[in-house]
Amino acid sequence: MKHTRQSKKEQNIAQLNEKSLSELESFPVRSSLEENIEILEHLFQDCSDFVLREFQLKDSVQACAVFVDGLIDTQSVNEALRALMILKGGRESIRSIEHEVLPVSQISEVTSYKDFLSAVLGGDTGILVDGNDIALTLGIRGAEKRSVNEPEGEAVVRGPREGFIENIRTNTSLLRRKLKTPRLKMKSIVVGKESNTNLVVSYLEGIVDPALRDEVISRIEHIEIDAVLESGYIEEMIQDNALSPFPQVQYSERPDTVAAALLEGRIAIFVDGTPMVLIVPTTFWMMMQANEDYYERFQMATLVRWLRYLFLAISLVTPAGYVAISTFHQEMLPTTLLLSIAAARESIPFPAIVEALIMEISFEALREAGIRLPKTVGQAVSILGALVVGQAAVQAGIVSAPMVIVVSITGIASFTVPHYNASIALRMLRFPLMFAASFLGIYGILVGILLIMGHMANLRSFGVPYLSPLAPMSIGDFKDVLIRAPWTIMEKRPSFTGVEDEKRLNTASINKSRQTSD
Amino acid sequence: MKRSSRFKIASIIVILIHSLLLTGCWDRVEVNDLALILAFAVDKEEDGLYRMSVQLPLVSSLGGPSGGGGGTSGDKSYYVDSATGKTLREANNVLQSRMSRKLFYAHHRVIVIGEETAKSGLREILDVIARFPENRLTAYMVVAKGKGFDLLKAQPQFERFSAEAMRELIKMVGVTVTVKDIAQMLNTPGVDAYLPVLASVDSRPKGKSKEIELIGFSMFRDDRFAHFLTLEHAKGIRWFQPTFYSYATDFDIRKNREISVQVNQGRMEITPIVRNGKVHFQINVHARAAIIEDHSGTDWGNSKNLRMLENKLAANISEGIRTTLQEMVKNQSDIAGLGLVLARKYPQLWKTSFRENWDKHLKAVTFEIRTRATVPNIGQTTENLTKEEMR
Repeated sequence: MKHTRQSKKEQNIAQLNEKSLSELESFPVRSSLEENIEILEHLFQDCSDFVLREFQLKDSVQACAVFVDGLIDTQSVNEALRALMILKGGRESIRSIEHEVLPVSQISEVTSYKDFLSAVLGGDTGILVDGNDIALTLGIRGAEKRSVNEPEGEAVVRGPREGFIENIRTNTSLLRRKLKTPRLKMKSIVVGKESNTNLVVSYLEGIVDPALRDEVISRIEHIEIDAVLESGYIEEMIQDNALSPFPQVQYSERPDTVAAALLEGRIAIFVDGTPMVLIVPTTFWMMMQANEDYYERFQMATLVRWLRYLFLAISLVTPAGYVAISTFHQEMLPTTLLLSIAAARESIPFPAIVEALIMEISFEALREAGIRLPKTVGQAVSILGALVVGQAAVQAGIVSAPMVIVVSITGIASFTVPHYNASIALRMLRFPLMFAASFLGIYGILVGILLIMGHMANLRSFGVPYLSPLAPMSIGDFKDVLIRAPWTIMEKRPSFTGVEDEKRLNTASINKSRQTSD
Repeated sequence: MKRSSRFKIASIIVILIHSLLLTGCWDRVEVNDLALILAFAVDKEEDGLYRMSVQLPLVSSLGGPSGGGGGTSGDKSYYVDSATGKTLREANNVLQSRMSRKLFYAHHRVIVIGEETAKSGLREILDVIARFPENRLTAYMVVAKGKGFDLLKAQPQFERFSAEAMRELIKMVGVTVTVKDIAQMLNTPGVDAYLPVLASVDSRPKGKSKEIELIGFSMFRDDRFAHFLTLEHAKGIRWFQPTFYSYATDFDIRKNREISVQVNQGRMEITPIVRNGKVHFQINVHARAAIIEDHSGTDWGNSKNLRMLENKLAANISEGIRTTLQEMVKNQSDIAGLGLVLARKYPQLWKTSFRENWDKHLKAVTFEIRTRATVPNIGQTTENLTKEEMR
């Protein structure tokens, strides 16, 4: 009888290693320390970073501390253990340990192996005491992390210099520092069978549309994946249209950008292990806005916005337009310009479309190489790019000088879009437009643009039309799209995100105070 | 069910994409397969055929990427070719058959009409210009003294192409006539057409270049050349233009003492008066001018002197306009559009009695010119700098 029980238990333990953490939900913490240690040692076979420290409480009650080396703050754990080792008390005393002995602020009780292990693997220190089927986890984390730096991907001239890091707690704290209100909610969700990545869905209660919030949470909860290594995984699995080249989720590594988004009734998704925080829902126009627009004077911000719209069009259409005009509509150019283009193209062996493709593709390759290469080699790439592709190719008569100018303008134009993922979309769409232009001329470009616009009008991000507030039109919201209105005029939050609490600031009181001080 | 409809859509898309590729690039013409016509000339041969000459830039000599600036030294940067035909299109086809590049008309800036062609009528050649979409109605038309061919062959020093020189020249003079203008002048009763006349002349001191010079205007009756108006007689023509371009004129202020003034602003009002079936035009001219050169040494600070100048200037302007109008009347070519002014004031009368034979009536027309000139600007000094100051 005893023998069979024993073997069954061993079988149980042997199976443990094949199970993922979430499946250990129904596997309770045993009251016998010996048994627990056996289970843990089996689970963490060959895990050199796992530490199991056995010790005796003062009246020779057996206890053990488990933690992962490198994830804990050694000094604090030492202090906690010292407190435990001088403890007086009985076997049933885990509560009294929690309430009277341990000088640790973050402490919680767990009863299942799932909770226990996820805490320990997350960096907590687990305490097991013989005779208690409740384990304690101490939140004394001390893993290595990067310090808060200026985000390199989103530089500003004016504005805060701090950016998110890879640690999710640091990130949520950075956001909390911006919005000190209990309305700022941080709902935690764990995703990933093997990675058990912590996600935090953050929103401002009372401003966010509850239906939107529930939709976002439900979409995230339905994700079943082995690991989430970057927020891009989440983005692809919660976006509405997976095939669209346009990003339907914005990301940012700036706390101020995220806070501003929450204030517009949007929702932020923090993912542990990456500084990139996702923001939903997103419209096309938000992709054209930078946080600095709101810190600079509004005239400047408005001008810069229009500059971006202009260069957006340029980056999309210029190569296609050059191909179309120089091969179909020569009458559209001023004579002198046409003559100099003709002179430059005289010795070029390729048709305009081939020339454009060569240059555009080598530009994309240069850009990619510039990002991927080690920084020390990066300079070599730019020299090669400028000299070989730019000058030598023109002098050798392989590509014409006007084409180099077109490609350079396009390249610069695509970098004026403040969000990298949006500019990638436009850079990709340039190529089909060039093909269309090469056999249909400007008509082809127009057809292509109409198709793109049709697709964009059809696109939605969490139920919000991608082109709103332009289509469907909401004139009141133009103040933050066509222009950047002065703050005193932007009295209401944008309506298209479905915000609950519309009022944002009290213009009347601001104006009154300004007048009285005169 | 759903799957099959998806398959259908997918196959339709694939077929559409393939059909797109099958079309090839049917209209595609690379820039280096075009022969850009900068100007063309139409001459009438003695056997009644049209000779069409085209001026084509030699793109490769314009300075490509490695050439490092072409310039006009050495080889010419253009060449001129011509062919004859019963129609312009036929001549074009002959030309095309010896061109390796497609003749491209959309960029011509000037159409040169040879003297003989002008005499035989413009309607025929205007037809192909207006009918063929590649041609531009904004191209300027000029009449050549002699053969139009010679104007295309001229090699002015400033510009790389004589076409460019012709265009800039007539723009600077301010009497520009486009194809559209000519068409309107020809189809509007009460207005006759006129065109600037250009000639190719040797530069002086004699160099290797042939320069283009504006020598006058040709007056048309209907679509045929009627009379050549010399520059001397054409002084008034600019006053009848819709926009006034400033110009300089000089005259004797005292005996053998010349003064030059720049007329900066001008306005003309024409009022037709019909009395007893006789047409009289009251022409009021207002001009503002500035002194630019004075050989008389007069003190222009004195308002009496200034008034004298203003009167002389007014007389000068009136005289210019009168000469032009007299030439017009004499040759029965209403290039000023007096008929149109009359038609606007008396539409009914115009229809019943003048419209049909305005040419004839033009002979009997009388006019009176009143000019008011002011000279508010006498330049930087009141008197010649070298003159001794009055104590």
